[in-house]
Amino acid sequence: MRKRNRQSDADEAQIDLTPMLDVVFIMLIFFIVVASFLKEAGVEMNRPDANQNPPETDATSILVTITGDDQIWMENRLVDIQSVRAVIAQKLASDPEQSFTVITNAGATAGTVISVADAAREAGVKQVNWPAEKKQ
Amino acid sequence: MAAQDGAGEGEIDLTPMLDVVFIMLIFFIVTSSFVKEPGVDLRKVEAVTTNPCARGTIIFAVDALGKIHYDKNEVPLDRTYRLAEAAKKESPKANFVIQADREAPTSVLSELVSVVKPLLDAPLCVSTDEKG
Repeated sequence: MRKRNRQSDADEAQIDLTPMLDVVFIMLIFFIVVASFLKEAGVEMNRPDANQNPPETDATSILVTITGDDQIWMENRLVDIQSVRAVIAQKLASDPEQSFTVITNAGATAGTVISVADAAREAGVKQVNWPAEKKQ
Repeated sequence: MAAQDGAGEGEIDLTPMLDVVFIMLIFFIVTSSFVKEPGVDLRKVEAVTTNPCARGTIIFAVDALGKIHYDKNEVPLDRTYRLAEAAKKESPKANFVIQADREAPTSVLSELVSVVKPLLDAPLCVSTDEKG
């Protein structure tokens, strides 16, 4: 009985929901179309402040230099890209808190510097510092 | 009149559907982030330590020739700061992402990093592909 009562009530005071539904559907479709589930993934690199000490004077820092022809140098030794990770891991073993800096020279390609940053992160470096290139 | 009667007879309760539609609507409103894609196809570097860039929705791209792309346009370096500033103002919580081709010159990439550096509040994310 009660149910029937309510039913008749609803019939009396019924609101036409169709226009609202139309609007809601159009909004829904708009947001579905606009939503991009694009998730960028990458390697984080830190740009130190320009007035910070040059890393050369910092004794407790791992320094990698990339020359203009994509050669990787560490402590005056030419290092192959495959062995960068091992060399950094070895250095890091003595002091895991060491900072890591990669210095690039004009002419190097992004592939090299990103690979070095990746190798360093894989070896356990917390933050990859990449100071601005020196102007010639 | 006839139509009204017809509707009255075979009425369907729309409330559950409306609930679902509203929940979907709210979900899409919340998740939409309006990313402006640079619109260039790059051969990104593969990296083992690829991590998601948190809220990385302001995307600049540097192609193999060292040209900077933003929002499907090629932009000169001296205009990137204004674009970056405008993007950051529009969505203050967004972080910067740089997509770089593996052949892109580091000089351009480094300049671009220097340009956006004052606007960064998280380390810059250089976009890579996951290896393996």
